[in-house]
Amino acid sequence: METYVDAIGVDTEATTTMAKQSKKKLKVMVAMDESKNSFYALEWAVEHLRDVISAEPETDQAGGLLTLVHVHPTYLQYIYPSGGTASAVYATDSVPESMKKAREESTAKLFTRSLEICRGKMVKTETMILEGDPKEMICQAVEQTHVDLLVVGSRGLGMIKRAFLGSVSDYCAQHAKCPILIVRPPRETSTSSSTKEHKSN
Amino acid sequence: MASGSERVVVIGVDDSSHSYHALETALDLFFTPFKSNPQFKLVVIHARLTATSVIGFAGPGTVDIIPLVEQDLDKTAELVKKKCTEVCSAKSVEITSLEAIEGDPRNIMVEAAERHHASVLVLGSHGYGAVKRVFLGSVSDYLAHHAHCSVMIVKKPKAKHASNDKH
Repeated sequence: METYVDAIGVDTEATTTMAKQSKKKLKVMVAMDESKNSFYALEWAVEHLRDVISAEPETDQAGGLLTLVHVHPTYLQYIYPSGGTASAVYATDSVPESMKKAREESTAKLFTRSLEICRGKMVKTETMILEGDPKEMICQAVEQTHVDLLVVGSRGLGMIKRAFLGSVSDYCAQHAKCPILIVRPPRETSTSSSTKEHKSN
Repeated sequence: MASGSERVVVIGVDDSSHSYHALETALDLFFTPFKSNPQFKLVVIHARLTATSVIGFAGPGTVDIIPLVEQDLDKTAELVKKKCTEVCSAKSVEITSLEAIEGDPRNIMVEAAERHHASVLVLGSHGYGAVKRVFLGSVSDYLAHHAHCSVMIVKKPKAKHASNDKH
């Protein structure tokens, strides 16, 4: 399994040594993107689950583990096919390079911010960067790392948007192999959603 | 966020093994680590369906069977309450509130979460596929998007695969 993960460019930086598999403490994975909701989800997770994953000073047993995973979507955003013909517009070489750099910078910023949230909470944190379709990669990461809980933010899309844009939290709720905790932003900041109850029965 | 305040975990149960599994998972996650120092309060909600929703289409003989269905639903509710109490006391967790409310599960859970100011709402998931979800409706789907608090969805794992892939 590890070779598979390496093949797609996983970059793991453990801020501390890997925690030993501990029976009592949990492994929790938090899926991050740049949205405000996922930062709120991380804060929520650290706040509420801190006692469950943090290391106990008196015992020698390693505490649980908090894994932050960020997925780069691989779809190319800067190449648009021209018309209906097979000829596509190819970007020059410099564009992918600068795209990659920009992505790396934003990922670094994301993790810096996330690690700040975790700092001082006595939580062992590690980060994972994956590439691919976010929904599938998160579910695969859950399978491979055998986490006990997956935490995701909710983008709060309305029902229509969710149908078209797809929802990572929806997909993960259905397909992840572990329990999933969907963190909603506090009511004051969430935008009014236009969803109506749909009578599917 | 005050660390002294107790937070509420609301868990919805119907009479399915998925719910009981979710209840146990929630207990393991939120309660057993803090045996001596409880951080959360547990509220268990059983959404009792109405007889009319169970029967579906009205037919000529419907009026007669409604009382029977009601009785059966009452019995189920009692059974669920008892079982939850057993599971919780087995893990020595105190239930703050155990309620059986009649009506549509979705609305009941949303209201209960608001009423108790829940921090987390926990549900089991039947694990319906995409098609069943559309036709039968999914309470966990609905709540994941309409509850005002965080939602935890616990799926019962299918039969474990034989591979031991721990390296």
